[in-house]
Amino acid sequence: MIQAIDLSKRYEDGLLALDHLNLRITPGQIYCLLGANGAGKTTTINLFFNFIEPTSGTALLNGKDCAKEPLEAKKYAAYVSENVMLYGNFTARQNLDFFTRLAGRKNLGKEDYYMVMRQVGLPERAFEQRVKTFSKGMRQKLGIAIAILKQAPALLLDEPTSGLDPKAGAEFVDLLMTLRGQGKAILMSTHDVFRAKEIADVVGIMKEGVLIMEKTKEDLKYEDLEKLYLKYMEVS
Amino acid sequence: MLRTVFRKELLEHLVSYRFPLFLVICLALVPTSVYVNYIDYAKRISDHNEQVRLANSELSASRMWEIHMGTIPIKGFRPPSPLSVFATGFESSLPRYYEFLAGGFKAGETSIGDESILSVAGRFDFLFIVQTILSLMVLLLASDLVSGEKELGTLRGVLSNSVPRHTLLVGKLLGGFTSVWLPFAIAFLLSVIVLAVTSFPLSDPAIALRVIALLVAASVFMFTYLTLGLMVSAGTSRARTSLVTILLVWILLQLVIPKACDMVASVLYPIRTETVVSMQKSLVARTLDEEKAKVLGNEYVAIFGMGAKFTTDLPPGPSLDRWNAFKSETDRAYRERKAAQLGQIDDAYGNERRTQRSIAGNLSLISPGAAFTRLVTDLCGTGEIDKARYVEAVRIHQQTLDEALYSHVSKTTLILPGGGSGSSSSIDKFVDLQSLPAFSFRIASLGEAFVGNLGSLISIVFWLIAPFAVSYVRFLRYDVR
Repeated sequence: MIQAIDLSKRYEDGLLALDHLNLRITPGQIYCLLGANGAGKTTTINLFFNFIEPTSGTALLNGKDCAKEPLEAKKYAAYVSENVMLYGNFTARQNLDFFTRLAGRKNLGKEDYYMVMRQVGLPERAFEQRVKTFSKGMRQKLGIAIAILKQAPALLLDEPTSGLDPKAGAEFVDLLMTLRGQGKAILMSTHDVFRAKEIADVVGIMKEGVLIMEKTKEDLKYEDLEKLYLKYMEVS
Repeated sequence: MLRTVFRKELLEHLVSYRFPLFLVICLALVPTSVYVNYIDYAKRISDHNEQVRLANSELSASRMWEIHMGTIPIKGFRPPSPLSVFATGFESSLPRYYEFLAGGFKAGETSIGDESILSVAGRFDFLFIVQTILSLMVLLLASDLVSGEKELGTLRGVLSNSVPRHTLLVGKLLGGFTSVWLPFAIAFLLSVIVLAVTSFPLSDPAIALRVIALLVAASVFMFTYLTLGLMVSAGTSRARTSLVTILLVWILLQLVIPKACDMVASVLYPIRTETVVSMQKSLVARTLDEEKAKVLGNEYVAIFGMGAKFTTDLPPGPSLDRWNAFKSETDRAYRERKAAQLGQIDDAYGNERRTQRSIAGNLSLISPGAAFTRLVTDLCGTGEIDKARYVEAVRIHQQTLDEALYSHVSKTTLILPGGGSGSSSSIDKFVDLQSLPAFSFRIASLGEAFVGNLGSLISIVFWLIAPFAVSYVRFLRYDVR
């Protein structure tokens, strides 16, 4: 489970990037965070991975405080960023091997890696290919493969579909649906209102560090999310 | 976890262009320099043996009287240090031999005259390669150890896992070090093999031990520069910023500080030049000699009368006994005065030079490169410790010859009060030259080299620990944004 309780972050330059955020994502749920650039979406994810320290409040992963027990908390979450950055001189398998070992899984063999890469839709020829030759879509798929192999109950994705072509985007969404089906709690920040409506169980809209709206799939059944989003963005 | 990070770091370097490049550079430079310097050493050894043989022949062919009177000098040769194949140090600037005479010693020629101005700026040897080329390469390699990952974004992926930051830092450091140490170690091993197939005295345990000490010292030095690079890399967010900062750090530590130290010391603590001191000594000696000649002249006249002319052919009798007794006592008294006054000048100048060198030496220890140079040259017997030991050995040998040989020579000069002067020389005992001890000089032992380099060792250890501590603190506090 992913949970934020009154989570705030003020940077050293005085900017209040996150203001008393409260959210809760249960297993098998996809939570999409919408918002303009600088709304606080990435800051939220950064706080869950202890990339930065919170000013106040608590970020919890599977009940573990991400600031007080970061190493313990991070065991329960996998991360996929907008641009999955991997080691370009390593092959896809070597990247998988390194990140999986970092995640604490050390007894996997070549076939295990190949199986996951097939699962995420990477072509066979790419398995032993250096990642620097990969397209963005292929890197995102490999990022998901890393996340899958970590076997963490929570998945935090920072604008993962940004810049993907429609086909790659659709394949990515299918993968997320599969992971939700496996009971993963998924937090995804995105600009893509349509995709959010398509896959999210809960949608939150953030503006200037504040979660200004939160609606469930049922709430949004009869509402136009795009209009709602634009309306909230216009309100000063 | 550390093993995983270490393996990844090592693999990343191995599959990049850096490892083969570093390997090629190490293989091309280290064994080549060692071999070329070995050829030079072999030639110097051959020259040394020939010079010793010729000097002995010259001495045998000389008349005993000339040797006793000091007109033919006795030469003391310094054998070239075998380990100068690794670090030339003072090897070419130190006199190959000293000439010992009744009046004192005189430095012989150096081999620096055989070299061009380009060599004076630093010989192409193992020390130069490690201290200048490899240190820069290690720094460049370290420049993106952390900043590269920050810039690429891979650091976020890594730190999203349960990997402690200190483990990541240590893993990076060890992996990075191994990737530069391996090519270096291979090149070093090849150099040793090259030496082993030549007539280099590698089988001598003392030499072999020093070669191992050189490998360890160079490895630690490279590690020092890697931690320096890591410190810069951990403190910057962009690889390019890190690279520029690292180049500035290298210029400061490698080029500016070691070169500026002597200048700063001479400004902080100016001393007389050697020429001035030498002239002062000549003046004192001449003044005393003249004073002694006058004292002897007065006494000669007092004993033998106003009109007596100076002669060594005096008839036996109480007057001659009185004259001989007075002359002997005056000789002794003035010899002691002269020795005391010249010694005072030497001691004062020695203290001045020691203080200035100590200031320069201590300042230079700010640079790990300077500390490494001191340590390695002393390990090779071509550094400051052995330079001082050489001069000390020369002084001791001069004293030995003075006591055993030149003290049997009596030179008398007198100035008569009525005008006129006279001089005489006599040898009271001819000494068998074979009975005189030969000049001997041995380089400092390994223990002495280490003890004498305590400051250098502290400097290197400081540069090993301090940058890592700074990197550690900075990386732990780093906000991954």
